[in-house]
Amino acid sequence: MAHFPKYMTTVLCIPRYQKQLPYVMTSVYSQIARSEKQTEEFRVLELVKKSAQRSARRKAKKIELLPPRTNVMPVDQDWSSVWPGPRSFHPASVPLPLRQGYNKKGVSPGKFANAELMKIPNFLHLTPPAIKKHCEALKKFCTPWPEELNDENCEKHFPVEVITSDYCFSSPDIREPMARIVILKVKLSALTLDKHAKDKLLRLVGERYDPSTDILTLTTDRCPLKKQNYEYALYLLTALYHESQKTEPWESEKTVADMEYYDWEQNVSYKNVLGTLNWPQSVKDTENFKLTPEMEEYKKAISDLMNKGEDLYTISKYKEATKKLLNLPEFLPLEYTTA
Amino acid sequence: MEFSRQLLHRLQPTLVGQLALVRSFHATPVCQKVQAGRYRITTKRNKPLTYEMSNPPHQIAHRKSWNSWNTANILGGVRPAETTIEDLFIRKFMTGTWHNLFLSEVIIKRQHNIIRIAGLVKQAISARKMYFLIGFTEEILSCWLQCPVKLELQTVEDPKDAIFKYI
Repeated sequence: MAHFPKYMTTVLCIPRYQKQLPYVMTSVYSQIARSEKQTEEFRVLELVKKSAQRSARRKAKKIELLPPRTNVMPVDQDWSSVWPGPRSFHPASVPLPLRQGYNKKGVSPGKFANAELMKIPNFLHLTPPAIKKHCEALKKFCTPWPEELNDENCEKHFPVEVITSDYCFSSPDIREPMARIVILKVKLSALTLDKHAKDKLLRLVGERYDPSTDILTLTTDRCPLKKQNYEYALYLLTALYHESQKTEPWESEKTVADMEYYDWEQNVSYKNVLGTLNWPQSVKDTENFKLTPEMEEYKKAISDLMNKGEDLYTISKYKEATKKLLNLPEFLPLEYTTA
Repeated sequence: MEFSRQLLHRLQPTLVGQLALVRSFHATPVCQKVQAGRYRITTKRNKPLTYEMSNPPHQIAHRKSWNSWNTANILGGVRPAETTIEDLFIRKFMTGTWHNLFLSEVIIKRQHNIIRIAGLVKQAISARKMYFLIGFTEEILSCWLQCPVKLELQTVEDPKDAIFKYI
């Protein structure tokens, strides 16, 4: 108790006036506060805060910033060093009076604080001088195309064409399932095939052969990787080639009735034509008979008629070929027709 | 007489069924109310809107453009779902990390494996703090998303500059 100031004891000694006690307490405490300042021993307890003592709202510190650097840009500056790579639009570095947006009641928003300009992709890094610079930098890694390798020589020396695709897309993953597909194209005339082999190959490949361009197209996509598909395509081509060269024992058992298309030389019509044209002799060696141009034409006409179907064109062709084959005049004399 | 009664008896269920069909057909007008991305006009006309907010969603590709740019949703694009979820996460992260600082939407552009995040930011914090936040965001996001992330921000001196109109 010894270190308590005198007035504390006086507080404690105040008799209890029931009703006035709060008032007394406050007045006493404010007394304490006042005397505290003098002695500096206790902190101030203020039950009723005065408005003057309220701390003033702290003012936000103004951040000093440089003006936009477009103000100090020289006219002949090197733009590709200002904007070297792809980047979102920034108004302080682009010295162009741009506007973007639609405003019904006034001008469209300017370039500062314009989010629309930041959204759209820009090509400020791909200006013509920048592209020229890129090309110049890349030039030392390029060699000229060999002049001897024109389209004709390409086809002759590189008959197989392989087409693969690489994909660019926005993703942290570099795998693209479509990149596995390999297309192999080869001109059928580049393969050494006899009549039987070619026929068999075309039957094996089906719709993969385009007769108008003479190109066989193999598309492989069943393996997960591009390399595997490429190797599979090469395997397919090899297998097709060797398979078509083979003649199976059952292939000789094929008769005229088994033919899928009309082959004139195997039919009775061929023998009849030979018999008629060479009458009264008969042709022994029908296999190696040299066809005359008229016979070739007749063969084509009758094959078309049988294979493509009967229409006005094939019928008239067949008629003309027959007349030519039998050496009949183009128009029969009147007495024959009227008789 | 007996026949007609029987006929009526037979027909009755079908008639009742037809009547029920007619009664169950509702002709109330369809409520085609759309509220998403549209803001209500205040009585004092003092609600600030940015350009983005002042154009409803059907104006995308006409008056305003997308906030996410990537190739995931074009035909044959890869990882569409993952990209969307990642974008959502980036937006949440940005609004949380750059608390009360963004004045525009968070714009996310993807090119190959790079993610570029753009937007308008208030000049409310010191440059030092801003640099820290940029580095922090880039580092954390590139660790999380396993690809380089770049922040391309534009600071705005007065937040009112980003306001397009008051409604």
